[in-house]
Amino acid sequence: MKAFRHQGAIAGVCSLAAGVTLAAGMTLLAVLLVQARGVLDFGFLLGAPSRFAAQAGVGPALAGTLWLTLLTAALACPVGVGAAVYFEEYAPRTRATRAIESAITTLAGVPPVVFGVAGLALFVRGLGLGPTVLAGGLTLAMLALPTVLATSKEAIRQVPSGVRTAAYALGATRWEVIRRQVLPAAAPAIVTGVTLALARTAGAAAPLLVIGAASFINYAPGTPGDPLTALPTQVFAWSARSQPGFAAVAASAAVVLLAVLLLLHLVSLALRRRLSKAAR
Amino acid sequence: MSAPGSGPGPSPRPSPADAPRDAPPARAPVFSLGDLSVHFGGRPALSGVSLDIPRGRIVALIGPSGCGKTTLLRALNRMNELIPGARTTGSVRFDGAELYRPETDPVEVRRRVGMVFQEAALFPGSVFDNVAFGPRASGFKGDLHALAEEVLTAAGMWADLGQDPDVPAASLSAGQRQRVCIARALAVRPQVLLLDEPTSALDATATARIESLIHSLLPRLTVVLATNDLRLAARSSSVTAYVDRGELVEYGPTETLFTNPSDERTESYLTGRVR
Repeated sequence: MKAFRHQGAIAGVCSLAAGVTLAAGMTLLAVLLVQARGVLDFGFLLGAPSRFAAQAGVGPALAGTLWLTLLTAALACPVGVGAAVYFEEYAPRTRATRAIESAITTLAGVPPVVFGVAGLALFVRGLGLGPTVLAGGLTLAMLALPTVLATSKEAIRQVPSGVRTAAYALGATRWEVIRRQVLPAAAPAIVTGVTLALARTAGAAAPLLVIGAASFINYAPGTPGDPLTALPTQVFAWSARSQPGFAAVAASAAVVLLAVLLLLHLVSLALRRRLSKAAR
Repeated sequence: MSAPGSGPGPSPRPSPADAPRDAPPARAPVFSLGDLSVHFGGRPALSGVSLDIPRGRIVALIGPSGCGKTTLLRALNRMNELIPGARTTGSVRFDGAELYRPETDPVEVRRRVGMVFQEAALFPGSVFDNVAFGPRASGFKGDLHALAEEVLTAAGMWADLGQDPDVPAASLSAGQRQRVCIARALAVRPQVLLLDEPTSALDATATARIESLIHSLLPRLTVVLATNDLRLAARSSSVTAYVDRGELVEYGPTETLFTNPSDERTESYLTGRVR
């Protein structure tokens, strides 16, 4: 009886915690939406930034963030997943391998601003790319890579060893085992990891500010060689302005950023559904 | 891979004594093991095993859990080397050729010596996906559906599936899953089938079905069966090896080994006495 009451108390505390979490999220969204009221419309989505709050739009920044996310995914996914396959399936289990693996895992915890400093030296100056969308994409790909690698490694490790053994016993080569069994089985979890990494990079303002993202670009970047602009840096720039009206503009841009992240998660969810249906 | 039907074939009537020398005569053993030892990270799992495995028969490997049955089985298709730290010494001749030469491709070996495991680890997807995996991996160019029907029929699964191999593998019973595993192994057209405790998770009825299935594979295939089920071993095999603590204790005709074991250790194992 006592144990039973105890259980009830634990369930109560946990549901309270869940309620607080939900309330925090809802409050955040409500505050943003209230602030953004009257600003957030179609013109805002497509328009260019302006000195006047009433005319400001988020178009170039939105296009920039979409470009950056695409570039980050295109650069970090093949490298991250490929490296995960190497470490899990090919690399000899030596002390050196383990040291490299834990070094990479540590990288996943390095603050984004540090990657900005590295990106500035490597891509903006070193490769002479300047503060372009491409330099931003490369920097964000570096930021995403350790996360993609770590989660993909974990996903590959979760594939039951019986599946691998059975595949080898049927005369499959290592690559056949990886391509036809391991990767399809790990794919849903890999997509989850990639989504988390992309959500982290899409919202990162610090590294882009360090490599020199602009906040007043009045045309949307059409190629990776165009000047860099993005939603998080735009939010930052607007919220730093003291003129009346810009608080609402910043909030609206933040709502657009949230919408992009929501879209990212929806795409990921759909992809995961398809992949796990195929793997069932 | 071995082309369909290129195995030993529906075979061997006692061959004339003057059989050609280069091709192994039909009566020659499939495997000849000489002083075979396997170590895992320096720890011996199998020491100095020498035996011949006759063609077209069922050979049972019995012995206590952890005695080295599985290691011995896995030595026959080079599966041990997938375990880090495994080291194999001695000789395994398969159809007269040394299995552990550096130039022998283990992938090729596993296509000729199939294996089915204790836990029926089916791949995700349908029964067809499972059966098609091996042939696809080895570049099979023929009609996969015909092949699937053939091996599923051989494994007694075609009727169970209602002639529909697109049934999800996960929906099958334990016994059916194990028969799909056998069908999957047969689809690569091996000469030998290694079975590692294939019935330990099954009830008596499902075990009986597996047993008659194994028998139906003879004499085209040679079956090596590692099992803890002494009755299954006694009923089905013609030769039995008793393995204990990594050593081959006794090897001989099943009937002799079970009724009149020559080694005290075999006898105490068979009678369930604790030493």
